[in-house]
Order: sequence, then structure tokens, then C-alpha cells
Amino acid sequence: MILRKSILRQFKEKKFQYFGVIILLLLSIMLYVSMSMGISTLDNRNDQFKEEYMQEDFHMILANEVSSDQLEEWEKNYNLSLEERLYGDIPYNGNGTTLRLFSNTNKINIPYASEGKLPEEADEIALSPVFAKAHHITVGDEIDVKGRTLKVTGLVYLPDYIYVLERESDLLSDPNTFGIGMTTEHTLQSIADKTVTQILGNEASEEERNAFKSAVTENYSLLKWMNQEENPRIQFVESEIESSETMITTLPLFILALSVFMVLMIMKRRLEMQRKEIGTMKALGYRNSELTKHYMMYATIIGLVGSILGVTAGAALSIPITDLYSNYFNLPSISYFDWDPRVLVIGFFVPNIILLIMTYFVIKKPLQQSPLDLLRPKDTSKGKKSLLERLPIINKGSFISRFRIRLLARSKARAVYILLGVMFSSILLIFGATMYKGMDGIVDSTYKDIMTYNYAAHFKTLQQEETTKGESPFTVAEADIIEINGEKAKEIEQQSMIYGIEPDTEHIQLQTEDGKLLHSTLKNGVVLSEPFASALGLSKGDTITLENAYNNKTIEKEVTGIAKVYIGFSIYSERSEVNEFLGYPKGVYTAKWTEDKPDNSEDVLFIENKQDIIENFESTSSLTRYSVFGIAGFAFLIGVIVLTLITNLIVEENSPSISLFKVMGYKDQEISRLMINVYTPIVLLGFLLSVPIGILSIEQLMNSIVEQTGFAMPVQLSWLMILISLMIILFTYYVSLFLSRRKLKNVSLQEALNKQQD
Amino acid sequence: MSIVLWNVNRIYQSGEVNVHALKNASIEIPDKQIVAILGPSGSGKSTLLNVIGGIDRHDEGEITVHDHDLTKMKDKELTEYRRNTLGFIFQQYNLMPTLTVEENVEVGKELSQNPLNMKDTLEKVGMWDKKDKFPYQLSGGEQQRVAIARALIKNPRVLLCDEPTGALDEETGKKILSLLKYVNETYGTTVCIITHNNGIGEMAHKVVRMKSGEIIEHYYNEEPVDPEKVKWV
Ligand SMILES: Nc1ncnc2c1ncn2[C@@H]1O[C@H](COP(=O)(O)OP(=O)(O)OP(=O)(O)O)[C@@H](O)[C@H]1O
Ligand SMILES: [Mg+2]
Repeated sequence: MILRKSILRQFKEKKFQYFGVIILLLLSIMLYVSMSMGISTLDNRNDQFKEEYMQEDFHMILANEVSSDQLEEWEKNYNLSLEERLYGDIPYNGNGTTLRLFSNTNKINIPYASEGKLPEEADEIALSPVFAKAHHITVGDEIDVKGRTLKVTGLVYLPDYIYVLERESDLLSDPNTFGIGMTTEHTLQSIADKTVTQILGNEASEEERNAFKSAVTENYSLLKWMNQEENPRIQFVESEIESSETMITTLPLFILALSVFMVLMIMKRRLEMQRKEIGTMKALGYRNSELTKHYMMYATIIGLVGSILGVTAGAALSIPITDLYSNYFNLPSISYFDWDPRVLVIGFFVPNIILLIMTYFVIKKPLQQSPLDLLRPKDTSKGKKSLLERLPIINKGSFISRFRIRLLARSKARAVYILLGVMFSSILLIFGATMYKGMDGIVDSTYKDIMTYNYAAHFKTLQQEETTKGESPFTVAEADIIEINGEKAKEIEQQSMIYGIEPDTEHIQLQTEDGKLLHSTLKNGVVLSEPFASALGLSKGDTITLENAYNNKTIEKEVTGIAKVYIGFSIYSERSEVNEFLGYPKGVYTAKWTEDKPDNSEDVLFIENKQDIIENFESTSSLTRYSVFGIAGFAFLIGVIVLTLITNLIVEENSPSISLFKVMGYKDQEISRLMINVYTPIVLLGFLLSVPIGILSIEQLMNSIVEQTGFAMPVQLSWLMILISLMIILFTYYVSLFLSRRKLKNVSLQEALNKQQD
Repeated sequence: MSIVLWNVNRIYQSGEVNVHALKNASIEIPDKQIVAILGPSGSGKSTLLNVIGGIDRHDEGEITVHDHDLTKMKDKELTEYRRNTLGFIFQQYNLMPTLTVEENVEVGKELSQNPLNMKDTLEKVGMWDKKDKFPYQLSGGEQQRVAIARALIKNPRVLLCDEPTGALDEETGKKILSLLKYVNETYGTTVCIITHNNGIGEMAHKVVRMKSGEIIEHYYNEEPVDPEKVKWV
């Protein structure tokens, strides 16, 4: 069809409009494809690693040694698979970095060498790739560990250290301060001050696992039992995959909606501009189907160009995203294709189908009008005056204000579009700003306001020795909330702990968000950490039933407060109560908080250094902070495109009146004020609406992932942040005003006169 | 074969009032002739033409065009009828602004099974040398010539022209009229010209006069005058 030629010329003539929607579409698809491909790669690698390298179902640490006969017997009796593994923590480099070395296994948690080979001889070592990279070590290097020279034979991944955390209670992993590696049992024993034997297990059904655990508890002193479902080193990657899924679809869908909406407006506009030509063509005998096909071509081209570019860019961008993930999660790429080809198919077809269907419905009606209707000038008086225009105040004001109101009323779709576009950008901005503030809040309130100790020493056995000044004893054990107000509680996947503390301790200051100290309430009940309360929907006054994992005893307690501890699922009670609950002798404790660094004696299981945790958090959260700037930039980009497109469309639509104004002697600036600045209140309204929506949505998001991540975020937005966001939005708006003013300048005076001919 | 209208009525309902745009109009438009439809503004000329052209529906009466009974046709059949039989020329040229002269004529050509030759047609209307220009680069008269070429190239049996000279000056207008006469003579196309310029009636074989929706008079010219010699009013 010869009409096709007109499409390309139209694209050229209205470069900006079509380019703009194509970019929007591209961004949406790119975002979807890159993030989905990143996540599906992650998912596939995780599944493969888990299965082929026999990830553990659980592991435990016993206080005493177990004979290999005993292990075999257990394997037989409980129909499971068990294997011992040794590990030890070794200081590396002397600046606080810890290297955790493991012995080899061949049944469970089988190490995967991605480069080189696993250590076989004495003084050989393999390191995790992330740690090696962070410390500039390559395969073949010789490194110095505690005065010994070890040869790096390879890079290694462990199936139970996918998210490399030093302690399970840690939030973020930091290869600069902690890493894992593998060496021979002999080398490990000779360089580590102290080694721990873990018993790894898998291939058990849940009942068998539970039965096994009870049996072990009866005969042995169980220092630690960790199920795979509660192990953050294994679970974090899975919760990341799960929680990303909503983001991956909602954000691109929003942008897709914005771009489809824009295409529809442009198409409507095109049809309106060409109504007479369409009428003439129909009079000449063009069929509806032919004209529909012609106008569908616009959407087809936009869709194809946008989706092909978007899918390509997304696929390319997924590579650095996958790299980024592989810095977080230690997953080997076992097979060549890790990504899911479905992502490409969805990324290509879904936007095109949506775009084509929507366009079809929008152009169908105008094209089906009779040729005669199309040939007549559009009857504007036919449409009743809108409610807005009939308001008495409107008809009083000056000509200018009447003109502006009419413009607003006549192009409601544009006003709605501006509102949505501004809201989208503002919500993104506020989302980012809240994240930014929230990161600070987590550290400040959890580690500075509440946890006033410097170190925590956890012991292998129950302690009785009096603590000295500057120390506070506490008892900590695994415990679950099984009932709330008499009804069965939702099961939390992650480990939850009960802390028995001294009410008069100075080393922890349980307080509410308003700063009210909660220690005095402990005699009446228990205090919960923020994530726990929000995951289970608990508040002050609820009654909960606790069950400890040690002897399965239960106890009923009232919740007397929620402390602004934003990390972990913790229950705080009095130490005497907790000891009784656990069946421990009076006065014992399992750990102590200290101000000075405690000695690392035989009895000590591990020492927690608060400063390390904070630094670790800060260094890793800098990534989140950068991504906040990314989000702001993205919001700005979308905002500029959306607003400029729309103001452009408005200028185009009103170009006859604009040139008439020009003929009358109005200046460009005045005309711009007349037509485009009409939307300033809408921009402001959009922003104002976004503040609560942004805060609510981040609360929603945090609540929905609190169960997997185990941390809540203090959602407080400062006025400064709101102001900065508003400035960015206004800046966006003025950039688009500036861009459309150029378009306005180009509207010719002749146009007014030419149009009069019609 | 010719176009025959029998007691055709068209009533527009606009709000409370009914406008009787065509009142019992009965007329025959003979094959291969030029027919001028004259009358003051609002007398129903365009309505008559649109009804014949199948872009408007009549309320009562019968219309047959070359044995097609328009009364019974569905929208789709009307489209096919226009596609195969008719050429339309409007007072406004309605050219596609993004297509060149030649391409605009191509829009008409694509509709026809046996179109005329592009070069011949454009030469006929005197636009061959401007075939690569865009509509905005043309004067009104030139644009109208392109619109005529667009209708003409289909080689239609009937050419319906609504005020084809309405926006043109005398000299250009007359050129357009000569062109229409040439088409009529060369291809045997039936040409209906609507105009409120009474002078144009002199060049037609048959003249129809309308007033307030009624056909008040119709007659044949013994000797149609050359378009160049009509009185321009
Ligand atoms: N869609 C419509 N709705 C209501 N009334 C209409 C419509 N179209 C035409 N009319 C009325 O029908 C009558 C005939 O209109 P028509 O367009 O046929 O006149 P005309 O003779 O072509 O006039 P002109 O020379 O001004 O073009 C007029 O009174 C007009 O107002
Ligand atoms: Mg008319």
C-alpha cells in the first residue's frame, strides 16, 4: 500500500514523539528482560548447584565427638545420609579479615571447583572466587596464612555457603572481611587454633529428620541444629528470587502502561488530524479493514522496534546484572545456558500483543465512522460542556483563565497521563529516598541505640562464673512462636531466637520507636523485635505461646512491647524466666555482652564484634545507596520523557490556536504560560499523592519480604527528602517545558491562515 | 444505464428540529453525460450527491446506479460500490499531507482493477512536472488538480464533484472544468458537478435546480458551451 510511505515520513516528521514512546517501551522491556534474565539465571544456577552438589538438608554441631560407627547406625536407622566436615576460622591479613576453611566432603555439600582443582596435598588451598577477587588472588598464587605459605590450587564454591555470611545472624555479606575456602583436613588442623566438626545431613524426609533430631538430643548435647529452610546462607538467594519477582513485573508493567497509553494518545491524535483524509479515502472506496491495517502499522512499528531493541538491550544488560548477583551469591555456572528463553519470548510478545490489541480498540471506532461524518469538521459543540466548564466561577474569570480551564477540561486524558507520569516518577523517588534513610535507620537504631555492647561472646557450654563490670550475661536459644491469642501462628521460615537478659543490663537498651525503655515491662511479658512483630502481625497486648527447640517446652506470654530492633526475629525476656523455660539451672548463661574484647578461650563458640557488623553493613549497603541514585536517575528519565511527550502533543494539538495567538501578537512565553503551565497544579498534585503512596508501598514491600529477609526498615521520610524529591520532579517538569517551548517556537504563523481554509 | 432517483427523501434530525434536506427528489442522471446541480446554499445539493455516492443514507425512496439498488446495500457493499464505480472530488482537497503528488494519486490508483496510466493522468491534469512535490508546496488549484487525478485514475464510471471550483479563481476554475469535460469526452465518464455558480450550468448536458430540498427544475442544454466560455459568477 502506498500509504505505508506516509508512515515513515510521519515518523520522521514527529521524530520526538515516536522516538520518545519507543524509548519508553524499550526501557520497560529492557528492565523486564534484564532483571528476569538475571533472576532466572540465579534460579537455574541455584537449582542445579543444589541438586548436583548435594546441598545439605540440615547440619548440626555436637559437644562431643561421634564415632563413624554411630554415624552409620544413624544413617541406617533414620534412612538419611550423614557426613562430617571440619572447619576453622583463620585470621587473614591481620586486619580483621576472617577466612573460614573447610575440609573436603564427597557426599554432602560437595565443593565445586570453577577453576583449577581442589586441594589434595598439604599446604594447598582453594578459595571462593569472590574472596579471591576481593583480595586480588589468582589461581597459582602463593598466599601467606598465619605465617604459612599456601598454594592456591583453585576457586571453589560450597553449596551451603551461597550467601557467604560469617554468622547466620548477619545481614549482608562482605568478601573484604570474610571469605571461605577449602583445604585438606591435615592442613586445616595444623593452622587453625580451633576446629569445629559439623555433621551434615540430607536425603531425609521431614519426619525422619525430626525423629533423628530428637534421638540426638536425648543422647548428646546438641550445640547447634540448623535446618536448610532456616539457613540464611542457603535461603537468602531463594528469598531474593522470590521477592524480586514482584519488582520485576510491576515496574516494567507500569512503564509499559505509560508507553501504551502514550501510543494510544498519539494514534487518536493522528486519526483526528487526518479525519478528512480518512473520510476522503473512505469515500473513494477504501475498506475499513484496509485503513485499520494502515493505522495499526504505526503501533506495529513502534512495538517491533521498541521490543527488538528492548530485548536486545535487556539481554546485554543481564550480563552485568548477573555479574552483580554473582558478587552476592556464590553460585557456579555449571551449564552453559543458565537463562530462561521464555523471558525473551515474554519480553517480545507480551508488549506487542498488548499494544496491538489496545491500539486496535482505540482506532476502530473513529475509523468506522461514516465518510460523511469524517469529512465534516469535528463537531466540538456536540459534546456537552463538561461539568468543569459549567461551574459558574469558570465562566466569570478572565479570558486567559477561561481558556486554560477549557484546555484542561477538553484534554482530560492528557491531564490524567501527566498525573500518572508524575506519580510514577515521584513514587520511584520517594521509594528511593525512603530506602536511603531506612538504611541509616537500621544501623542507628539497632546497633547504636539498642545494642550498646561492643562484643558478644557465645559459649559452647552453660556458664556460671560471675561476670565482671562491663559485661552482661544472657541466655540465648532457638524458640518459635506457635500460637497467637490462642490461634495457631504462621510458621516463620527463619530461625527465631529468645534472649534472656538482665532487666538492669546496660548493654542492650530495648526501646520503642518513641524512645520508651521496655526493660521494666519484662517482668510482665516479652518484648519482640520489629521484624518479628511485623511478620506475624503482632502488637503490644497480644498473648503468644512460645516453644523452645531445646526441649520443646511451651510457655504463654504477653507481648509488652515492640523494640526498634530492625534485624532478626528475636524475643526478649528475663534471663531467669528463659533459663527456667529451657530447663537450665538457675543463674546460668550461654553468652555475654562485653565492652572490651573477650578472650577466645576453649569454651567460646564464637565472638561477635559489633563494629565489624556495622562496617560490614555499611560497606555492603553502599551498593543499595548507589542503586538509590540509579532509581532517582531512572525516575528523572521517565519523568522527562513522559512530560515532554505530553507537552509536545499538547503543543501540536493546539498549534492552530497557538499560531492564532502569535498572529494576535502574543509572545512565545505568554503562550507557553497559557497552554502548558496549566498543568503545574497537576504536577504538584501528582507529587503530593505520591508521598503517602510511596511510603505505603515501601511499607508493603518491606512487610511482604520481612519473613524472608528478617529485617524491617524504619519507614520515616524526612522533610528534606521530600523537598529533594519535589525539586527533582519540578526540575523534570521544567526541562520538559523548556523542550516543548522549542516546539512552540516552531509553530508557524501561516498555520493559522492555512487551517482557516479547511 | 444511468443513475435514477425515485421519490428520495432525506431528513436530518438535529435536536428538536427536523431538516428535510431532500423532499421527494426524483431525477435521472443519464449515462456518460455532464450534469450540473445548481441551487442556493442549503438547498440540499451536497445531500443529493452524497446519497448518490453512497456516503449518506436516504430515508425513503429508491436509488439505482447502473442497476445497483443502493437502498438495499449494506455498508460493506456500499464501500465496494464506491470502490468500483465512483470517483469523488470535494471542495476541500483532502490530500494526504505526508505523500507526494504522485503518491497521493497512487492512493486512488490502488483501488482500481483497470486504472489509467499514472503519467497520462498527471499530464492530463497538468501536474506531471510537480509529481514529487508535497501538498503544502502547491497552490489550491494545483491541489484540486491532484485530487481530480486521484479520483480520475481509478477510471470510474461516475465522477461526483462537490463544488470543485469553490475555492478557486475564475481562470483556475475554468481549467478544472475543462479538465472535467475532457474526462467526460475521452473516457465516457458520467460527471456530476455541484455548484452554486449558475454559469457552470451552461457547460452541462443536463441541469438540475434545487431549492429547499426540492428539485424545482431540470432541463437539457441543446448545446453545452465550452467551459472556457461560461459566465463566471
Ligand atoms: N448532518 C446534518 N445534520 C443536520 N442537518 C444537516 C446535516 N447535513 C446537512 N444538513 C442540512 O440539510 C440541508 C441541506 O444541506 P446541504 O449540505 O445538502 O446543502 P448544500 O446545498 O450543499 O449547501 P452548500 O451550497 O452551502 O454546500 C441544510 O439545511 C443543512 O443545514
Ligand atoms: Mg454543499
